Amino acid sequence: MTTLRIENLHVAVSGKEILKGVNLTVKTGEMHAIMGPNGTGKSTLSQTIMGHPAYEITAGHIYLDAQDLSDLPVDARARAGLFLAMQYPSEIQGVTNAEFMRAAINARRPEDQQMGIMAFIEQLDEKREFLGMTEEMADRYLNAGFSGGEKKRNEILQMMMIQPKIAILDEIDSGLDIDALKVVSRGVNHMRSKDFGTLMITHYQRLLDYIVPDYVHVMMGGKIVKTGDAALAQKLEAEGYAGLRDELGLDIVLTDEDADQYVEVAHD
Amino acid sequence: MIDAQTLPLPDFPKVRYSAWQLDALSPSQATYETPQFLTDESGIEVSGLTTTYLALSADLQAQGVRLTSLMAAQKQWPELVADLMHRVIPATADRLTAQNAVQYNTGIFLYIPAHVVVPDVLHLVLNQLALTGDDLVARLLIYVGAHAKVSLLQQLNTIGDQKTKASVVIELIAAADAQVNYANLDQFGPQTTAYINRQAQINDRATVDCANVAFSDGQVLTELRSHANGEGATTHVCVSALTYQKQTQGFVTAVQNVGRHSVGHIFQRGVILNKSTLVFNGIGRIIKGAKGADAQQESRVLMLSRRARGDANPLLLIDENDVTAGHAASVGRVDEQQLYYLMSRGLSQTVARRLVIRGFLGDVLAALPTPSARQRVIAEIERKLQDEQ
Ligand SMILES: Nc1ncnc2c1ncn2[C@@H]1O[C@H](COP(=O)(O)OP(=O)(O)OP(=O)(O)O)[C@@H](O)[C@H]1O
Ligand SMILES: [Mg+2]
Repeated sequence: MTTLRIENLHVAVSGKEILKGVNLTVKTGEMHAIMGPNGTGKSTLSQTIMGHPAYEITAGHIYLDAQDLSDLPVDARARAGLFLAMQYPSEIQGVTNAEFMRAAINARRPEDQQMGIMAFIEQLDEKREFLGMTEEMADRYLNAGFSGGEKKRNEILQMMMIQPKIAILDEIDSGLDIDALKVVSRGVNHMRSKDFGTLMITHYQRLLDYIVPDYVHVMMGGKIVKTGDAALAQKLEAEGYAGLRDELGLDIVLTDEDADQYVEVAHD
Repeated sequence: MIDAQTLPLPDFPKVRYSAWQLDALSPSQATYETPQFLTDESGIEVSGLTTTYLALSADLQAQGVRLTSLMAAQKQWPELVADLMHRVIPATADRLTAQNAVQYNTGIFLYIPAHVVVPDVLHLVLNQLALTGDDLVARLLIYVGAHAKVSLLQQLNTIGDQKTKASVVIELIAAADAQVNYANLDQFGPQTTAYINRQAQINDRATVDCANVAFSDGQVLTELRSHANGEGATTHVCVSALTYQKQTQGFVTAVQNVGRHSVGHIFQRGVILNKSTLVFNGIGRIIKGAKGADAQQESRVLMLSRRARGDANPLLLIDENDVTAGHAASVGRVDEQQLYYLMSRGLSQTVARRLVIRGFLGDVLAALPTPSARQRVIAEIERKLQDEQ
């Protein structure tokens, strides 16, 4: 079993404090979801776990089992078993998707056990078909010119090829049409095992209908303010963040406080 | 007799090369025994003053294709050579060109008559012998007749490790409706300071597509100039350069649209490592009367080190209204975000950089005509990345 443990994490970007004391533990075999308003620090949390250099830990710790991750650069964290499906995946001209994935797999293997091209293609074809991706996409440059939905699918394809222990999925559902959402969810569910844990960031309850989480956390103002089971997501969908905030008596200003009114105005 | 020293040095904006002493040459007389690069390909290999390899099919010979060292060609077909030489590059264009015209003592001659289609890639390999301190002063003269078709792979190499200079002037004439693919792989050694002047004249409806791979290790000035003289003459000039350690490479890449509806596209990609310097000057010139001409250029430089220096200067000079023209240029560092993305999948920084470099130069590498040429370039990228550590 592998455990990702986040303790009292404070993170600043360009000198501004974004995370203000996050505590969270994700174990292999568990499915976690994080929900929270825009700009509250969800992507900041995922990038900090992965080791993006722009995010500075000002207090607290992230551990993968006994290892303090602050000692490890991003590539070593990945090889240790972490994976981040990014909200905005980069486009890289000139590096083909297939070439990249094979390099990623081989980066985890010793010199004398590198995966050969044939074995790789066999695996790639299987996973690619599972995700309904065309053969041509493997030979295209990494994410270059991919549609929003194709990029998300490609993140999941990479996850399935790399087989991480703990995967953070940052808005893997945004920009997906209904059918694509099912396909991507199928990919994540396919990974479900006692050796795999996930932390999904999402804005929509819908994703959680397909990938039923064991835990749902709500993040507001740079902290996790409430944790519950799948029912918490439904409650949020119905009541919005303001309701939860007031219930918890938190002193946080939400940008889209009056959203419900706007919808009503639109109906007039 | 031309007095080269009275002529001005060629203009390479933003490249400081006066200390390179390219205008003082002492042509090497060195000879050599064996071919170093060709084994069973069609083509010629000239090392110093010696032709060490020559293979041209009987069929092509029967069709009148002539491939020899330049000196042999001048003996066998003196009028033909005299008639073709300096048609593209005047002997008095500038001091370095003039010096070459006066002092050259080796080179390659290729003549392809009208309507001949050459089935295989023809290799034109010229090796500098840096065995003594003397210099390479060489010319290549290539004529592709009307409606003829050929794919060329031209290589420049250094054998030996003495500190020397090299001056190479290359003229290519594509007669009407000719189709030429011209790829070159420049790999002069680290102790060689080189001046390379490669120019093509493109006549009516002819096409010359160039893939210029500039992977020399020392100081290099390269002038690449295409004269799209004919109606509908078309040229795509791709340049890919990799500089490393303390070297400097300076380019002037120019297309001159003279013919109506002529097309000149320049596409340059450069990667800069360590403390090296790379300067791309792209010049698109459309002269008055070249109606319907199209001049485009795109130059991109990628720096992989904080101490690297790079420049991409586009220049469009247009004297005709009825034309299309455009340019794009950029100097960037490897985007931290891209590197982060690659590394977040477990790739080390070295592997990630290698993928990015290959990718950045990839379009030009893909234009190389043989797998072994591509393989050589990939091996060179690898070597330079290793030496960077
Ligand atoms: N690299 C950065 N540079 C500057 N500011 C940043 C950076 N990353 C995050 N921020 C700021 O930190 C705050 C939190 O951003 P973050 O992306 O973590 O939010 P989020 O919860 O993921 O929002 P969303 O739901 O919109 O994706 C925002 O105010 C954002 O502008
Ligand atoms: Mg986000």
